[in-house]
Amino acid sequence: MINQEEKVSLFGSQLMSRRGFLGRAGLTMGGLSLAQLLAKDGDPSAFSGKAPIRPDILSKEPYAPRGTHFETPAKQVLIVYCPGAVSHVDTFDYKPDLFKYHGQKPPGLPAVTFEGPTGNIAQPFWEFKPRGESGKMISELVPHLAEHADDFCFMHSLTTQTSAHPQGENFMNTGFTMEGFPSFGAWVTYALGTDNQELPSFVAINDPRGTARSGKNNFGNGFLPAAFQGTDFNAKNPPANLVRPGHLTAGDDKSTVELLARFNAKHLQQFPDDADLAARIASYELAGKMQTSVPDIMSIDGEPESIHKEYGTDQGSDLKREYAKNCILARRLLEKGVRVVQLFNGSDPSGGNGITNWDSHSNIKNTHAMQAEIMDQPTAALIHDLKRRGMLEHTLVVWCTEFGRMPFLQANGSGRDHNPEAFTCFLAGAGVKKGFSYGESDNFGFKGAKDIATVYDFNATLLHLMGLDHERLSYYHNGIERRLTNVHGHVIKDVLA
Amino acid sequence: MKFGSTFSIIPLLIGGFSQSLVAEIDYETQIKPIFEEYCIDCHSGSDREANLRLDYRPSLLLGGDSGIKAAVPGHPEKSYLMELIQHKEPDLEMPPKEDKLSDENIALISQWIKEGVNIPGQMDLKVEKTTDLWSFQAVERPELPAGADHKSAIDAYLLEALDEKGLSFNSPASAEVLMRRVSVILTGLPPTPEQLQSFSAAYAAQPEQAYTELVDRLLASKHFGERWAQHWLDVIRWAETNGSESNLYRKNAWIYRDYVVNAFNEDLSYAQFLKDQVAGDQTGAEAATGFLVSGPHVPAASVGREAIAIRQARADRVDEIVQTVGASVLGMTVSCARCHNHKFDPISIKDYYSLAAFFQGVEFGGRYPKYEEGHPIEELETALRTELDSVRHQLGFGQIPLWEDWKGYNEVHLPVVETKALRFTSVKPNFVVDELEVFGPDEAERNLAHKRESVEIKVEEKDFALLKNPEFVNNGEFGTMSFRGKAKKGASPSFEMHFKEPVAINRLKVSTNREFFFETDYLDRGSSLPNFDVEALGEDGVWVSIANYKKAKARVNGESHLKTLARRRDQLIERIMKEGSQVSFIGRFSKPEPAFIFHRGSPENKREEVAPAGFELLEGDLELTSETSDKERRMKFAEWVIDPKHPLTARVMVNRLWYHIFGQGIVPTTADFGVAGAKPTNQALLDYLASEFVSPSQPEAKAWSVKAMIRSMVLSKAFRQSSAPQAAGLEKDAAAALLWRYPPRRMEAEVIRDSILSASGKLDLALGGESYRIHNVKKTYAQWEVDKNYDEKTWRRMLYQERMRRVDDKIFTAFDFPDCGQVRAKRPVSTTPLQALNLMNSPFAMSQSALIAERALAESGGDYKKSIQRIFEVILGRLPDTDELEACLELDREKGLSLVSRSLINSNEFVFLP
Repeated sequence: MINQEEKVSLFGSQLMSRRGFLGRAGLTMGGLSLAQLLAKDGDPSAFSGKAPIRPDILSKEPYAPRGTHFETPAKQVLIVYCPGAVSHVDTFDYKPDLFKYHGQKPPGLPAVTFEGPTGNIAQPFWEFKPRGESGKMISELVPHLAEHADDFCFMHSLTTQTSAHPQGENFMNTGFTMEGFPSFGAWVTYALGTDNQELPSFVAINDPRGTARSGKNNFGNGFLPAAFQGTDFNAKNPPANLVRPGHLTAGDDKSTVELLARFNAKHLQQFPDDADLAARIASYELAGKMQTSVPDIMSIDGEPESIHKEYGTDQGSDLKREYAKNCILARRLLEKGVRVVQLFNGSDPSGGNGITNWDSHSNIKNTHAMQAEIMDQPTAALIHDLKRRGMLEHTLVVWCTEFGRMPFLQANGSGRDHNPEAFTCFLAGAGVKKGFSYGESDNFGFKGAKDIATVYDFNATLLHLMGLDHERLSYYHNGIERRLTNVHGHVIKDVLA
Repeated sequence: MKFGSTFSIIPLLIGGFSQSLVAEIDYETQIKPIFEEYCIDCHSGSDREANLRLDYRPSLLLGGDSGIKAAVPGHPEKSYLMELIQHKEPDLEMPPKEDKLSDENIALISQWIKEGVNIPGQMDLKVEKTTDLWSFQAVERPELPAGADHKSAIDAYLLEALDEKGLSFNSPASAEVLMRRVSVILTGLPPTPEQLQSFSAAYAAQPEQAYTELVDRLLASKHFGERWAQHWLDVIRWAETNGSESNLYRKNAWIYRDYVVNAFNEDLSYAQFLKDQVAGDQTGAEAATGFLVSGPHVPAASVGREAIAIRQARADRVDEIVQTVGASVLGMTVSCARCHNHKFDPISIKDYYSLAAFFQGVEFGGRYPKYEEGHPIEELETALRTELDSVRHQLGFGQIPLWEDWKGYNEVHLPVVETKALRFTSVKPNFVVDELEVFGPDEAERNLAHKRESVEIKVEEKDFALLKNPEFVNNGEFGTMSFRGKAKKGASPSFEMHFKEPVAINRLKVSTNREFFFETDYLDRGSSLPNFDVEALGEDGVWVSIANYKKAKARVNGESHLKTLARRRDQLIERIMKEGSQVSFIGRFSKPEPAFIFHRGSPENKREEVAPAGFELLEGDLELTSETSDKERRMKFAEWVIDPKHPLTARVMVNRLWYHIFGQGIVPTTADFGVAGAKPTNQALLDYLASEFVSPSQPEAKAWSVKAMIRSMVLSKAFRQSSAPQAAGLEKDAAAALLWRYPPRRMEAEVIRDSILSASGKLDLALGGESYRIHNVKKTYAQWEVDKNYDEKTWRRMLYQERMRRVDDKIFTAFDFPDCGQVRAKRPVSTTPLQALNLMNSPFAMSQSALIAERALAESGGDYKKSIQRIFEVILGRLPDTDELEACLELDREKGLSLVSRSLINSNEFVFLP
């Protein structure tokens, strides 16, 4: 026989005593809402590693600003998401060997990639030039962004877990390839709330062509309370049901609201201090304010002509003009203190190859050019505008896509297939190094080579920049203390300013 | 199989054989010093890393958190320790990089393992696997509290716990509150004003009798099943789309939802309910297996062509099944053991893959439900097919080629011909084929064209302007992976099919995308079916035409009697497709492949082969093997979970019922009965309920009866008490976990929508059937758009709204309606301004407000004041007080009534259940 201490249990190492459910909090119903109770399910002390930090959400003010885990300059975040996979070797990741080996079979060539058989190496379709003081080599596909190379921190050694778009989008934006997990924006809003109580805390500005392939996953709340989902509108379309129905007057609305207030006040007498009831009353006040504040912020016509010119609302393709308006909207939202703005450059209404997003399996020369025409100038103007206004000091900018593209063409083709093992994203603004490049892909841009970074690392770093410890920001769901980074991820310290 | 009455420890006798070997390596002098210098600091004692002890033989034999045996006596090549010390495991090089052991030391350890992992003094130690996790211990029927009987038991257990805190029950709720509460809880529908009045009167006279009658009426209502189906569907994240990129609609998946509604309505025993859902193809409940494929999946086209991705996607699909079963039936987070032993719970990685092996033969997709002989659908289909055969013969079956359009595919009947090769030449410049099957007279269902028959597809590349994937013609898979060809100007695209031996053929089936046709709907479909001429290669090497598409058409069209017959044939085909057995998304079954442990969760890292088995610590060894058939596997799994002694099944279900009734589970984490979940707030109560569920104390009562269990809960005093706040209760138990009051809560999306439709009198209460649609018809890779979410065709219970994964319905998604991506054992309850905007301004809210006003006016004979009163009645079930009435009367009369309705459907009183 062996004694208890010596008993080898498969499962023993994590068993520990627990305190009683709810025993740890001495709150009364006035302060403790149902939503909070649900969020406190399960016992954080049972989990290994660092103790989870679950923000205290007051159901009366789910968006009240909440503290970061540590000091950080970033208060807000702008994510520019380019669905479809932008070719790193044609934009920001300069690979001279591609010119050298153009038309040849690359060494170690896989026979099959996502869409099928592989072809020969293809040199970049655009000329690369040194930019700014850093001399960063960037292609002529994105000349406007290239001008700001000295403000950017490139990450060239990113890798993902999938070569399929929807899973890739899920992974980049929710930290999991599978369905149903909260988006990055939802996590940040859940953690930090927002400063402006009259605008949504998290706005998803969808591409004029529609939503991306993973649809609402990219800005959804997953299993977090619905309060933390991204509110979906752009320069053209207001949020659903924001506008008072046509046949009602302002007076009708006022009457409705007054009646409602009276009914609710009477009802509240039966349940004084009930936080959930108070929360609903407050939500109607906020909704009322949003009915003014959102149209105000959407009306970009009042912006000076110089701004319209700079962003490009006045020239180029219709899609570019629309996207440029979305970029102006993004700046206006950030100016008003919206915590998270996620701006999409690409959609998925038809699955069209390179027509609706960056996916370019054939004729990449035309299709990437078409996407870049839309994305380049307005995005560059947006980042530059933030800088000019001093907003980059407290705004983190993230430009990203789900994976890269292959250094070789598809067999008998004119496009590049998906590349999950090397791609480039860049950061700028609050807390980030300027004119810096982190990590390297190999000589062909085929696989990450130096300082390989996973999407977990990327997301861990983004949370860190927002003042949040990715190992501690958590939400109990279905038996697991869930995190954006699952059980992985390391903050990439080298990119921090 | 038996579950012990106290949970038994399962001893494993390991070791022993080494003693007979002559040991050349001495542990004490040769191995221990290596371990002590490099390993022991981290791998010993109670806070050992990775739960692995190197100074303790049983730990070595069992392995650490990875679940892989660290040392297998006699087999260094099977010992994980060897991989680690040789730095073969990325990110887990042991000892870490710079400290890598010398080759000499590695060789010593290898030899030591080979000789039997000898550690003097430890050779007789046994490995015990055991757990003290409460939920893994057998349910023991607790003593009833003093003075309690089975009728008062629930209250007695609760009062014991309340008493400890110096609390007690609240005063009883009013008749009106009670009726609204029990109606919504049991059926999801509010009572009508008339029902409220008559109940109030009856309750005033004889409360006990009136309430009991009400409860029994509600339990017998056909809407009971609808309400409880909603809860079940949440847990298993059932939806009618796949999720993922194209998020395609799942054809006829709704028959599963109807199965669940009926099961609750008929009070099918919970044991049978579970059995049906995993083995319904064997229990006469075909639709029930929709359970197994309730989770999301990524269709082949979105997985891509890389073999690794394809294997990973399959492992992910199996994991979705494990998640479904784990959360709904077992209440355990089984998937946490997919990459390593569960961090907290007594579930090993082997348990995970053994459990997954039960479902190794299950695939996401549709099948034709089989109907027993004599079933009306079966009878009709047999009759239709008999007539079809007769029409075929009249058309010349067996003598001339006949083309039949089965919508999803063309079927071509040919006179029997024996040949070594066939040539197919498209009649159009575009030639798209996802699969072409060839059948002969000998074995009617054997596809002679399948690649496994060593059939070769040949193409003349010069004829094509575009040529893609001719190998897909006969790869045995339907769907987007298709052969695509486009002819050069003047040429006709064609391909040849060469058989290994001459074969007799008489039938072809060909399609462009049969997967889409069978599995999905509401798609803007692209290409039409391929039509072609067929030639056979004669023995003399000359191609002979055996079917000419245009000639066959012309022949039929040229003779009126043939034309009539052909029309009759097309009608019969259409009727078979509409009225016969319909392919439905309820899962497909096939012969299971052997299952393996995937080390670190990766299908690329196969380890030990595992047989289907339940959890080792819950007597899960059912003596199955990799050879066990798919059917038997699933049936055995069902039998394992519904064993009356299984410690989880009954507990998990009664707790779930409790949660839906009282707003919080006795175990608050309803799908996690593990260490990281919450412990029961009142285990005696939980175990009492679980015992009653499985073996009721009343002799006439039915075991596993969900209705009986729910009935006992809603008849309790705890359920019938008021929800009014009390200072003492708020202070000591703010959330009323101990139930000193009935905890009030915001109603769910479905209840709000259904209640609004009830108030307007427009709710269509028809049961079951195809879901109502609020979405568009879309292109394959487009996103679903909400089309109309408020018009008359949507005036059904929201249970029947198509459940679309991650599609915002633009009204109720904001009310925490689940996105059906992840298991949702509990819905969060949040409050957002978007909810307010949706309920104030959406076309649904506006049109319903107007309809409520219209109804009130009509029912009040046009009297304005009475209409206001009626609006209060139909929405809140009460009359306005003087103040409220006056405020309403002050409104401008033109829109006044609809504004009153609009205010009331937005009020807290309406959306909160007191």
